Order: sequence, then C-alpha cells, then structure tokens
Amino acid sequence: MRFLRRHPILISIVLFFFATQFISLRYEGRQVGDSFSSFILTLTYYPQKLIFILTGAIVNVWQNYIELVGVRNENERLRNEIRKLRQEKFHLWEAELQNDRLKKLLGLKGNSTYDVVSANVIAGSPSILRSQVVIIDKGSENGISQGMPVATYEGIVGRILLVGEKSSEVILITDDISAVDAYIHRTRARGIVKGTGGGCIMEYLEKKADVSVGDKVISSGKDGFFPKEVVIGTVVETEASGGFIRARVLPDMDLNSLEEVVVILKLPEEKVLNE
Amino acid sequence: MNRLYQIIMFVLLSFLFVILQSTFFSPKHLGIFYPDLNLIFVVFLGLFSEVRGSAIIALGNGFMMDVLSGNLIGLYSLSRLSLFLVLKGLSTHIYAQSRITQVIGLFCSTLFSWGFIWIGLKMRTDFRISFGEIMAQSFVNTIVGLPLFWLIKNLYARVQA
Repeated sequence: MRFLRRHPILISIVLFFFATQFISLRYEGRQVGDSFSSFILTLTYYPQKLIFILTGAIVNVWQNYIELVGVRNENERLRNEIRKLRQEKFHLWEAELQNDRLKKLLGLKGNSTYDVVSANVIAGSPSILRSQVVIIDKGSENGISQGMPVATYEGIVGRILLVGEKSSEVILITDDISAVDAYIHRTRARGIVKGTGGGCIMEYLEKKADVSVGDKVISSGKDGFFPKEVVIGTVVETEASGGFIRARVLPDMDLNSLEEVVVILKLPEEKVLNE
Repeated sequence: MNRLYQIIMFVLLSFLFVILQSTFFSPKHLGIFYPDLNLIFVVFLGLFSEVRGSAIIALGNGFMMDVLSGNLIGLYSLSRLSLFLVLKGLSTHIYAQSRITQVIGLFCSTLFSWGFIWIGLKMRTDFRISFGEIMAQSFVNTIVGLPLFWLIKNLYARVQA
C-alpha cells in the first residue's frame, strides 16, 4: 500500500496500459455471461426490484387516486385497443403481401411461433457510455438465456446480453453494437439495422432498392437472433451513402420509457454464437 | 471493530450508489446531466478514507458499474482504481477539508476519469461523448458531490467514534 501511495502516477500509467490493451466498447471477443458477473446481476436484483415496486406503487397511487381515475382507465383501454387494431391491420397487410408473394413462388411457408416470458424493466444502465441497456426482472430461472430476443407488442426491443438467476440485461436495438438483419416490408429490400446510440439506421440497402419515408422495417430472421417478420420501426429519412442507400429508422415504441417487455424464448442459432 | 464497521459501511454505500445510479439517476432518463454518484464516492475514498482496503472497494465499485453497463469489463474498474490511487497519492500533499479543494477535486476527478476512458477507448473504438458533455458532467458532479461529501463524512465520523 505504501508503494501504491508513493507512486500513484506510475500505477496509473500501468493501469492505463492495461486499459488500452483490454478495454473495448465492442462486443466481439468479450467473455460475456461469466458467473461472477451473473452473481453481481443477481445481487443487485433485490434492491432494484424493491425500488421498482416502491416507485411503481407511489406512481400508481398518484395516478389512480389523485388524477382522474375514470379518464385514465378509459384512455388506457382505448390505447390498448388502438394498439391491437394497428397490429391486426399490419398483420392483415402482411398476410396479403405474403399471399401474393407465395402465389408467385408457388410455394408455401409456415410461420413458427415461440413461447414468451413477460418481464418488467426494473433498472437502466448506470453509465452514459452504454446507456442503451436495461435490466429486466426475469432471469435463468424463467428459462431465459443469453442472446434471446426481447420485444413488446409493438416490435423488437433488443436481445439478452447477460443473464442472472433472477434478472437479465437487455441490450437495446438502439445501442451501438446492436445489428438486426432486416427487410423493408413493402418491397422486401434487405439491409442491416444498426443502433446509433439514440436511434437506428438501416444500412447496405442497394441503390436500386425502392425505399421511401413511411415504409415499415421488419426483421428477416436471417441473423439467427430475431424471429422473422417482427416490426422494428418506420423509415423516417433516406439518403445515398456510397453505393448504397442509408435509411434512418424510428422504432415504433419509445425505448427510453420501456416498462413491460416480452422475452421470446428462441435460442440463437449455433452458427451465430460461434461467430 | 471500528475498522470492520468502516469497511462494511463503505461496501454498503458503494452498493447503494450503484443501485441508485441504475434506477433513479440512470443516464437513460437524465442523459449527460446524471450525477455520477459512484465517481463521487471514489473521490471521497481517495481524499478522506483511511481504511485499508479502500482500493479494493473502489475497484469493486468500478466492477459493478462495468457489469451493469452492458458488460464493459475493465473500463470502469481500471479507471476508478486509477483515480483512487492518484487521489490517495495527492491527499497527503493537499488540505482536503477545504471546500475549494473539494470542488477542484471533484471537477478534476471527473475530467481525469473521462480522460482515462477517452484515451483508452479512442485507441480502439468510437467515442461519442463530446468535451462539452464531459464539462457538463463535471459541473453536475461538483454540485452534487459537495453535499454528498458532507453526508458521507458525517456517517464516517459516527462510525469512527
């Protein structure tokens, strides 16, 4: 300890050397899901859950008793109904397009379904460097494993990064290291939706691809993580970028105020984990 | 026995600050204007703690930050330990009880911490936080840090007594 006190600058330089060698914001090559990290995640679960329950209870009391109870409930019911109708409309549209496509191909394709686990968002990242991370109150004891996709009824949210016994870390699609193989729903133009820290961009769309503002973007299912044909968001801007088109995609839900999500119990395909 | 109480107090405080920063004061909600309670706590340890093992508490605090920030293993652990050691080395040469010293200490510690991360990451990956944002965080930490120092010092004095 005396040595440390006498030579703080030297120690800092040594630590800095280690930092430049081992630290990276990128995902590749990092040992994720180690047991000690999972233990820390489980350890923080109880106080985070407690705070979540307490704040939830306080907010509920405020909203239910102080504010107009009837108006709020009615509003909530109508919002849910609109959400369901929108989803239904989208599915019908999707089915129609799919039907046309299948007719042309003279083939049939079935949609596989997966079990889901619903979870509450109980905390967020404590660091601004990776703020697009949330913690949910379900973990390995609920059948969740690393890499599983996370969604809401409005579309894809992200995927599981680290699993504790009772809680898990979810990396959102808006994070810098996130990438989803996707299609433009209307024209089936394919690209990669990447996170930018606060939003998403769809890259590598061929220059001749038909993409316009308002187009829905859906997952292709070819990245091995996300199931196919789940909504990611809507194109809000397009621009030429080299030999490609780049589109700014706005997720359909507000990822900064997520409260409830569902984890789709779909294990990533092995080839993806090995890459 | 007092020493044991002090260590337990610091470990619990470290844990509490990590929890608070991932719930109420998460940058997800507050953006760059979030107070970095854990950094403030490490500055306190560096300037005032006489407990042996404070370096390990600072390292543990950084590690918890790493785990809860999407597994950025090493990033906060090393920067927080480094900051603690520099402050510990300086603490014998400065009068840490002075408010001015504490203000300068908090402000410069935030800059040091970000500088460490910035240079470390710039060599390998993108770094999206601007100098203006780092300055804003330094101000927030300084403003929040002073009353927090007072609070922790009172607790520390009670446990020492």
